[in-house]
Amino acid sequence: MNLKPMLNVMKKLQKGVLYSKGLRLGRLDGYERLIAGIYGQPDRVPLICQPYTYAMGLHSLPSRKFFSESLPFVHASANMARYLDIDSWNPIFDFYNIELEALGQPLIWREGSEPDVDSQHPLIASEADFGRLKPPAPGRDGRMPFVLESYKRYMDVTGLQPMVYACAPFTMAVLIRGYVNFLRDMRRNPAFAHKLLDFLSMEVVVPWIAKMVQVTGPSIVVMSDAWASPPNATLEMVAEFCIPYVHKIIKATNSPIRTVFDTGVWGERAADPRAVLDMKMDMMVPGNDFKALRPFFLLVWSEDYDAVGIPLVRDYADEKKVCLLLNIYPPALEEGPPEKIAELIKRLIREGAGRGRFGLLANLIPIGTPVEHAHAVIAAIKQFGSYPVDPEKLDGMAFRMPAVEPFDDWYRREGLRI
Amino acid sequence: MSWEEDLGRAVLEGDEISTVRIAGEALEAKANPQDILQRGAEGIIEAGRLWQQGDYFLPDVILAAEAYREVMDRVAPLLEGDGAGGKGSVLIGSVEGDAHEIGKNIVVAILRSSGYRVVDLGVDVRAADFVEKVQELRPQILGLGAYMTTTMRRMPEVMDALQTAGLRDKVKVMVGGAPLTAEYAESIGADGYGADAYDALAVINRLLGVA
Repeated sequence: MNLKPMLNVMKKLQKGVLYSKGLRLGRLDGYERLIAGIYGQPDRVPLICQPYTYAMGLHSLPSRKFFSESLPFVHASANMARYLDIDSWNPIFDFYNIELEALGQPLIWREGSEPDVDSQHPLIASEADFGRLKPPAPGRDGRMPFVLESYKRYMDVTGLQPMVYACAPFTMAVLIRGYVNFLRDMRRNPAFAHKLLDFLSMEVVVPWIAKMVQVTGPSIVVMSDAWASPPNATLEMVAEFCIPYVHKIIKATNSPIRTVFDTGVWGERAADPRAVLDMKMDMMVPGNDFKALRPFFLLVWSEDYDAVGIPLVRDYADEKKVCLLLNIYPPALEEGPPEKIAELIKRLIREGAGRGRFGLLANLIPIGTPVEHAHAVIAAIKQFGSYPVDPEKLDGMAFRMPAVEPFDDWYRREGLRI
Repeated sequence: MSWEEDLGRAVLEGDEISTVRIAGEALEAKANPQDILQRGAEGIIEAGRLWQQGDYFLPDVILAAEAYREVMDRVAPLLEGDGAGGKGSVLIGSVEGDAHEIGKNIVVAILRSSGYRVVDLGVDVRAADFVEKVQELRPQILGLGAYMTTTMRRMPEVMDALQTAGLRDKVKVMVGGAPLTAEYAESIGADGYGADAYDALAVINRLLGVA
């Protein structure tokens, strides 16, 4: 294991946390800003970005190459993050598919998009299929080698440890079984549903996490669980079929210096918002023995905060002393114009930034979005997001769109070669 | 209980196995296929009512819709002539790149159970295929579904393709799916937006002036 990225992260963690508590040892870089934003008040609101297909599009890379080869994948992502001056980014692959593909689930590949599970052909179409399922060899099957190589390359390029991603067992069960089939399992054959979830948790996810952290060191481990969300799943379903397995995986994989949690859940608009927020906290809080490293953040998605109001989720985050992370509605970035994007960012900052423990997430910049729109996000954050944020003053501030260098020109001069 | 009551209850409970069995027995007993569909429809309409008053959750509605679909698949081919579908015609599909069908299937079930004739193009439908089918079938409504932020951007392509083919003013376009909003639907020039399947039915009824 390469110790340098781990030591770098520890140093940045220390500086960021101290800054957030008022002890300011120099200017913050993007990663330190994120840490300071998670634990308190940084210099300004941090922006996390998932480069993903936007990086692929900027470099005109074929989908299969981008999502299968570590060099173009990591270099394109790094180029995009540097070009846009993003505070923090991670190598984001199609993290719902990796374990499933290693198990034998067919994927559909399309140009201009990430691969997707072929939901017309679920791997476990019947209970009998489950008996034929073999656990993948962690790190060898499917595109697992690509993931491990990408983490190594990310550490080489950035000098930092990446966040490690896994597919959470509930969502994996939905994808491998088909949503309707799994609903029927939970209702009519819960013993089988539990058997499947136990297999996916202990035979697939736990060994895969162990393999990944062998490469990255004691990283933050994120399990993504979009299907464990109301209204697709009821809170009772999540309580019986999701949370116990999340906790089981956490117990099997965490350590005093590693935090493991489940996220990606949405649905405050479809149920009692506080009950959904409580559920999200339950997916994070047990993730570490070292209290200072947990919980990491509370992520609320645009469709939900627009429905229930940002003040509700801000108050909840304050009450639980957790960082509130709001994503930026992807179609707004694609549609533009920059001034409208800046108004959106201003609103999110006005209503969400508070006195810290806050961040913005560009989880998806749709492929083909004009680069001016993407630059407008970070420009608006820099102009409106400096702490202390005064909501009243924000209203009188006009947005100034900076000059934007075309990506191709920047790439020829500065970019990592692909 | 009679098959009529049993069938509605089986659909309501999302029990597709009993639904198929009861529909088969009813057919053997020479029941009118139209009556069978009507009894099944009562189950899904009741599921919608329970959902709207908060007694049913979305998974309950999905399983009811799937059970009703099983009845439709077996019984609809036996209908003579147009059979069901007197209220109007709908062409529907998930846009290119989107393999999700659950939401669309609920809409299809709700519309069919409410008397619409629905042609379901399935998932991952290219803009050119939507246009070709609109040209061929001349539906009153075209329904576009997208269930991911990455695929909803295909909707404007369909709108443009309809415009280019000179069909835009010949069909009302409805859009729906988890990441969509009414504002987005308006911004791409759609005629209607359904926040959920029952809302989609209400909007289509309104667009076509159907009570």
